[in-house]
Amino acid sequence: MSKRVGIIGAGVTPFKGTWREKTYYELAQMATRDAVKDAGIAIQDVDGAFYGIYNDIFERTAIPEHAIHGLLGMQNKFGIRITNGGATGAYTMSAAHAYIAARRFRTALVLGVEKATDCFDFSSMSATPEVIKSIGWSGDSFFEQPIGWSASDSYAEVVLAYMDENPGDLKPEVTAKISSLLSEQVRNNKYAQRQFDQVTPEEVINSRLVVYPFKELEICVYTEGAAALIFAEEETAKAISKNTGNPVVWITGVGEANEHSFAGKNQKDMSRIMSDYYASHRAYDMAGIADPTKSIDIVELHDAFVHQLEISMAEFGLVPLGKADSLIEDGLMIPGGKYVVNPCGGLIYCGHAVGASNIMSAWSARNELIRRNLKTALVHGTGSTVAQYTACMVLEHE
Amino acid sequence: MTTQKEKVIPEKYIPDVGSYIETIDGKDYLITNDAMYTFYRRTKGEFSSFFLGLRDEKKLLGCRCTKCGLVRVPPMLTHCPDCNFAPTELIEVEQVGIMNSTPPITYFATSLFQHMAPYGRGRVIFNGADTAMSVILYTTTGILVPGIINKGTEVKLVFRDNRIGEMTDVFCVPTTELSKEQIEKKGLQESEINWESPVEPELPQANDPDVAVYEKALEEMKSIIEEMNTNDRARKDIAGWKRDIQVKTKGGQFAIIIDDGDIKLEEKTLSSPDFVMVCEDPRTLLDGLAYRGAITDSVISKKLWISKNMEFNTIFKLDRMARSVARSKKA
Repeated sequence: MSKRVGIIGAGVTPFKGTWREKTYYELAQMATRDAVKDAGIAIQDVDGAFYGIYNDIFERTAIPEHAIHGLLGMQNKFGIRITNGGATGAYTMSAAHAYIAARRFRTALVLGVEKATDCFDFSSMSATPEVIKSIGWSGDSFFEQPIGWSASDSYAEVVLAYMDENPGDLKPEVTAKISSLLSEQVRNNKYAQRQFDQVTPEEVINSRLVVYPFKELEICVYTEGAAALIFAEEETAKAISKNTGNPVVWITGVGEANEHSFAGKNQKDMSRIMSDYYASHRAYDMAGIADPTKSIDIVELHDAFVHQLEISMAEFGLVPLGKADSLIEDGLMIPGGKYVVNPCGGLIYCGHAVGASNIMSAWSARNELIRRNLKTALVHGTGSTVAQYTACMVLEHE
Repeated sequence: MTTQKEKVIPEKYIPDVGSYIETIDGKDYLITNDAMYTFYRRTKGEFSSFFLGLRDEKKLLGCRCTKCGLVRVPPMLTHCPDCNFAPTELIEVEQVGIMNSTPPITYFATSLFQHMAPYGRGRVIFNGADTAMSVILYTTTGILVPGIINKGTEVKLVFRDNRIGEMTDVFCVPTTELSKEQIEKKGLQESEINWESPVEPELPQANDPDVAVYEKALEEMKSIIEEMNTNDRARKDIAGWKRDIQVKTKGGQFAIIIDDGDIKLEEKTLSSPDFVMVCEDPRTLLDGLAYRGAITDSVISKKLWISKNMEFNTIFKLDRMARSVARSKKA
């Protein structure tokens, strides 16, 4: 078997705010059925399963993957769950890649699923405060959880520290334009939660502050859904490709990094997302990319917040640090610009079904590489407190 | 053991046992009230000295590496990973420090912290420390808004009067809001600070043009609220929510009644409103309801005053309804 790994099948469910009609068992099976159908294989041809499920509390069970293993037809085979905060999906793909590259398996199912909005706050009679409370259990339990840590305020810490060091970047009119642009791009994604929620920059600026400096229309939305990929080693991938006629999209680079979660001397530099820097550059090294500005065509990145999208693009080396606004001001990410960024609408408009999100991003990157006949894409997942975790993949379409 | 009268989970968060049906495309789906709860007698272990220092002695402790000398606050470890796990020793640090970076401010909090919002949480490097400690941040002057606390702002650690050995025993305020004696005092308590209490703003006397502006804005608000009342998405935003709000403006006052999916505007004075909104110019509220700007932001920018911070929740729902109506029009 070769160490080369490719994507030979993919499927996603519609991403929705709430799926009252389905449990996560059925969502998982829906995406898996579509992925094996796309690959033109039977589930019995899959050697192992990698499950990306972020939060036990969302699924209301401590080992949520155990029930779906048999329901997907994977009984008596390898199955492992990866949970790495917001970067769960990206780390799940990284793990599956490693097992196949190590020649443990010929094929693998990579499945992300999340059922977030069953969480419900009976004091405000709405779901969101309870969803973000559930995520709040992910913060440091001794020093930060009790004083109101949340995913939004921890990412806001990083964004504000970046703005302290780079005054003049991340201008409100630019973040508003990016959000508006993503809302236009999502029109083409029929699986998206907000396919027809197009907003103007003015609406973004006028939307309410949720956590300073983030406005409501600059933040990802919580979603329920699933996404699945079929990975295969080189010979198997080529044989399947010959049968289906679908080109293989190869995973040529993978990189990961987890930073310190405390700040100060010898700890995390709050003004940087070094996890993004290390993970992307490790993926470039593996893929043999010397200058990402000349190689990367498509970026499917985890845009938890528009401001973080801009910083991540700078950490990837695609725009200069301190000049991330060039994404709009120099037209780098507008239609026809140098980079295609989040053509699926990103997590802000397609939706954030946490364990499934980065897998959905890879699904989109693969589709777009083939559809636009482009060569190279970068897929990214970020997570944990203060953007501590990152995993990146370079995808190539021959 | 310190005993508390409050419950670990407040009553208001606990739903009744029950279930209900949601019908989608003519088919019924069952939904049940549920919870996944676990109680703890939580070990504080090696952090016990730190938390007991806060609770009993009003001391702030850190740990110093015996090899490299790095002082970490809080004392998050007993051995330094940068020095091949050389042991650390506990030391006391000062109770004044500077902000490591500009702190975020949470306006829309998780269900656990809605009583605290709006609040800042940021990292402070206390004098004598090399690392930053996460703390809650307040201002003594009312609602915390951007610009009061920034990177480099000097802050003072303040102790709650009732302490239980948790990070909630302390918070910080800017030293510019304290006297020299307060800044220098070790173990300064919240009750030793003059907190500005919320006072309902007085509205100036209205003249004829003010009344005309009020009457025009009122008609527009009535029309918007009627539209909200017929919009399914907007009605869903206030499902299960009940509030009687007295709105006072320069030109006149009225009431907004929210009642489990229904919303109405009535020209009357409420005898016991859940909260009061005051905005000199009625167009401030009108713009929010018409989706021309967020009511939340008007509260933050002090164009609109609310009598209870907890009612940010209701303000969010009104903002949400405005957006729901706008989204429906687009669809």
